[in-house]
Amino acid sequence: MQIQKKQFKDKLLDWIIFFVLGAFLINPFLGLIAIFGLIFYFFKNKNALDLQLSKYSKSINAFSNNLARIESIHNSTSVRKIFLQNNQLKTLSLEFPKKNLIFKAPQLRLEKRKRYLQVALNNTINEAIQIISQIPYSKRILIEVGTPMIKEYGIKAISEIKQMAPLGSYIVADNKCADLGSREVEMMANAGANASTCLGVAPIETIDTFIEECEKYKIDSMIDMMNVEDPLSVLKKLKKLPRVVILHRGVDESEFSKEKQIPYYQIKQIKGNYNLLVSVAGGDTLREIQRAIFNDADIVVIWKSVYEASENTASLVNEFMKEIK
Amino acid sequence: MLNNRKKYLQIAFNRSLSEVKEMIFLLPPSNKILIEAGTPFIKNYGSDGISSLKNWWGKKIGEQGYIIADLKAMDRGLREVQTVAKAGASAATCLGLAPIETINEFIKNCQSNGIDSMIDMMNVKFPFEVLQKLKKLPDIIVLHRGVDENNKNREKQLPHNQIRAIKGVYGKILISVAGGETTRDVIRTYFNDADIAVIWRSFYESPKNTAKLAQEFLKLIK
Repeated sequence: MQIQKKQFKDKLLDWIIFFVLGAFLINPFLGLIAIFGLIFYFFKNKNALDLQLSKYSKSINAFSNNLARIESIHNSTSVRKIFLQNNQLKTLSLEFPKKNLIFKAPQLRLEKRKRYLQVALNNTINEAIQIISQIPYSKRILIEVGTPMIKEYGIKAISEIKQMAPLGSYIVADNKCADLGSREVEMMANAGANASTCLGVAPIETIDTFIEECEKYKIDSMIDMMNVEDPLSVLKKLKKLPRVVILHRGVDESEFSKEKQIPYYQIKQIKGNYNLLVSVAGGDTLREIQRAIFNDADIVVIWKSVYEASENTASLVNEFMKEIK
Repeated sequence: MLNNRKKYLQIAFNRSLSEVKEMIFLLPPSNKILIEAGTPFIKNYGSDGISSLKNWWGKKIGEQGYIIADLKAMDRGLREVQTVAKAGASAATCLGLAPIETINEFIKNCQSNGIDSMIDMMNVKFPFEVLQKLKKLPDIIVLHRGVDENNKNREKQLPHNQIRAIKGVYGKILISVAGGETTRDVIRTYFNDADIAVIWRSFYESPKNTAKLAQEFLKLIK
């Protein structure tokens, strides 16, 4: 796979350390050259250590993660209290998981002129965690926490997936906001989402507050144009533009009336008039994804093929990534 | 499950779990009060939140309480209804703005799961247009003015005139009105023949006055 070339695998890092030590043994000067070479390499490829860092952060967060899970099962904070009394948490510095990272991940934003694959997780949390562990790590894969999951588990779903996903993963909370824009954005941003969605059919006032709040919390705003006939007319009424517009054919729609199509021609219409990213959701076959990319979509959303974890999940995602390039 | 000759008061809860618990135990026990788990509440606590509401309210009034899950379903009618029905909700809401296929699926699944279906007509200009297209009618229609609309746009009014129009055509359907907050709004709502009045803001802003507020509003029902 193309993306993984620039990242070190587990053992490779061990070999590099071994090699540098060996160089020092032969000649200190040779060792220095090797270290400078390494520094230069990391300067060029800043992502090289991401995989290791994410594993590192997972291992130091494992304790607090497990604690949070125990609490959510027993619905009490007594466990934490016991630890706090013994001052254990502070000595382990695990009380605030975000602060104890040496390398703190900056707030991720989507970039223009890059193409992304958005993997939507809609099943149970356990299934989602299995799927995440199989997905190849890449900055161009966005992980979406689907609406059914948010409604079933609450924001717990988002924070849990964020913790299980590799460090620096981009998490999309598909909360489909219809009212009370500010409340929902605050909740999603605090849970660790990098983007939140709002319905295009919602009142214009709601969409406006939603976009405003998203900018305040520095997360990307996505407007879901499901069941909107003319997205341009909605965009025209807005005070500020969202970062992303999602062209979406609903699951029920595509199941019960097959003749409804994703309006691919609207992608160019929107991009021609406004400077924003367009995401396409509702097509799940390779062919539909090719069509979306061909029509200049920036983000393609898949969910059906990753609804359940299986042996093929990784290869499926890889195949999709090939199409997106 | 709801009697269409009675009037009901629906109180929506959007605060944190512990505060909501306190507020529910402050409410006067009456089966005219319907408890709603608001959309932010559901998105925050998920189906666990709904089941705890059910437990608390059941304990308070000593019988099965009526809990409404304000899902605002937009897609996947089946999955969402099953989730909240399992959690113990007695009714769920779906957006009138959703694709017709979703609303149909939603109503069908509500019936098969034995809960009431509510269609939220927020931002729908002509509820009749939506109702005509449906295969089956929902149990309850919610006429709703959104909170953000309310805050930013004062001149938008609750469509009280539509209540009688809908009842005249469809008869048995119950009508719920959301978006009015003052006692005057609630009086107007009942006067215009609505069956359910939804309130939340006054409770949200002063949780300690819950008991007093609820009694005031209950007086209006009679």
